[in-house]
Amino acid sequence: MHPSKGALTHMALLEIKNLHVALEDGPEIVKGVDLAVDLNEKHAIMGPNGSGKSTLAYALMGHPAYEITEGQILLDGEDVTELGADERAQRGLFLAFQYPHAIPGVTVTSFLRSAINAIRKARAGEDDPIPIPEFRTALLAAMEDLKVPRELASRYLNDGFSGGEKKRVEILQMALLKPRIAVLDETDSGLDIDALRIVANGVNALVGPETGALVITHYQRILNYVTPDFVHVFVDGRIVAEGGPELAHRLEAEGYEAFTPATVGGDA
Amino acid sequence: MTARAELLERYRALPLPTTKDEHWRFTDLSGFDPDAWTVNGASEIAAPPSIVDVEASGVARVGEAGIEIERAPDGVRFELLPEDHELLYSLVGLDEKFAAHNAAMWEHGLLVHVPAGVELEQPLYVRIANAVDGGAVFWRLLIVAEPGSRFSLVEEYASASPELAGYSNAAVEIVVKDGAKVEYVSVQNYSRATWHFASHHARVERDAELDWVAGGFGSAKGKVRIQNDLAGEGATSRVTGAYFADGTQHLDYDTFQEHIAPSTTSDFAFKGALRDTARTVWRGMIRVEEGAQKTNAYQENRNLLLSKTAHADSIPGLEIMANDVRCTHGATLGQVDREQLFYLMTRGLSRSEAERLIVRGFFQDVLDRVELDPVRDALAAALESRIPQA
Repeated sequence: MHPSKGALTHMALLEIKNLHVALEDGPEIVKGVDLAVDLNEKHAIMGPNGSGKSTLAYALMGHPAYEITEGQILLDGEDVTELGADERAQRGLFLAFQYPHAIPGVTVTSFLRSAINAIRKARAGEDDPIPIPEFRTALLAAMEDLKVPRELASRYLNDGFSGGEKKRVEILQMALLKPRIAVLDETDSGLDIDALRIVANGVNALVGPETGALVITHYQRILNYVTPDFVHVFVDGRIVAEGGPELAHRLEAEGYEAFTPATVGGDA
Repeated sequence: MTARAELLERYRALPLPTTKDEHWRFTDLSGFDPDAWTVNGASEIAAPPSIVDVEASGVARVGEAGIEIERAPDGVRFELLPEDHELLYSLVGLDEKFAAHNAAMWEHGLLVHVPAGVELEQPLYVRIANAVDGGAVFWRLLIVAEPGSRFSLVEEYASASPELAGYSNAAVEIVVKDGAKVEYVSVQNYSRATWHFASHHARVERDAELDWVAGGFGSAKGKVRIQNDLAGEGATSRVTGAYFADGTQHLDYDTFQEHIAPSTTSDFAFKGALRDTARTVWRGMIRVEEGAQKTNAYQENRNLLLSKTAHADSIPGLEIMANDVRCTHGATLGQVDREQLFYLMTRGLSRSEAERLIVRGFFQDVLDRVELDPVRDALAAALESRIPQA
């Protein structure tokens, strides 16, 4: 089964077409990727370290250091290839970072409210701040669901957070910003089993008629909790194999060696 | 010769500082003539909008034309400063060019004298405003806090119009006697064409406490000197500075923590943000005299550069004559990190919103030190308003 087979009848929410990405004045890292992610779909991109997975994630989100040299990113049919990260986020794209950045002096609560209001403003075309009681209720409920300790809300964003706390707060942001397409860049790495389960539950709870997800990972581990509808094997800047959840298990058993470009051939 | 004529002679005898003087190494006054500004010419005291919104028990307004005391609290002297006050020039003397200029020229000063044990619930408020293009304002303030008194005073400098060119020269002397507590707030929001020179000097006596807030947003160039003498055992002073310079502004803070008595504490923290080709200079000196054992002194200056062409100099200094002291200092220079900006933008914030959040966060710890809510809000708003909207 190919994830873009539905493209004949309708266009997926996120469509990536022949995407090539290079570092600023540097080598090409992503070498022609086609991918379509629709609402209600969970996709996994699996690849070894250094294969360009994170570059793909950053380029999708519009990081200024990554140059799209060829190809297109379409969101809901709109070409967003040239848009800034803020405009992509306002249109419903979200990236959970592998290494979230600290913003000293800005509390998690104050940051979340600013972000929600920025997105509401973009959608309404004018200031449309979320009423404080509504915000508080949503925040407390999401923190409860994701088992984020209450005290984190009043701490400075990611400042002195443990790895697990950062990842939980990424998922908390995702839950509150309600993206249409969530990209998770190795959110599972470095998590203990409890944190992993919480992250996975966050993804599972989000994906539905309103949201699709693209989980980028090195390991099969998170896929035990987030069962992907589609698995894409990513090696050396390209998708070299695609399939259903069984492909992840095969990878776990055989390793990435079986998928190196030279050996893929008629394999996929 | 009259006393004033003598003072003028003393002023004239002092050369204008140049960059060869250590304290003026980074603040070049070439082309500036303090005598080129007219002293009179205004008939009314201007009332530009204030940024600090306080309910004040005493209010005074100062301009080129003079001083107007709108109201004064009962039981407190909040009145014209007499020329023969015994404490006058005891802290800000005549040895420095601009202090000497103030001594020679000031006419309309304010005396704030709070008797022993008196506590004022509401702050006192003074606004100094220049309104005459090419004019000069000489402002002099003497604050005497008698033992055990507690009060706060907010001083705000502003210009009647944003294009106004002017010269401001301020001299502020503060005596905090045994066990008294004074909060002193000085917010400078002059026009971009006003030169501002200020000498603030406080003496903090036994078990007394001084909590000081300095905000710097306006002015073209100049120097603000802040000296605190920890003169009595158990004295504490805390000075918090927040400033923002952009365009071609040049702000200079020259601070001096003078520990004279034992078991005294001083804590100076200044943070600034700079954009465009703005420059800031911060110089900090902690001196611990021989007898000032068990001194605990801290100073820091941290600057955030919002453009590559802005420039901040920090010159910390320690001079320690006692052997049982704890003195620490720190200075850092940082830039808004591209990765931080990207991270915030991926959450839907525009670039300017993201930058505003980072700048707000940068200043948060100094804002947290400000005890008066309206002052903290005013500083936060003044800082955030400096980040352009996209």
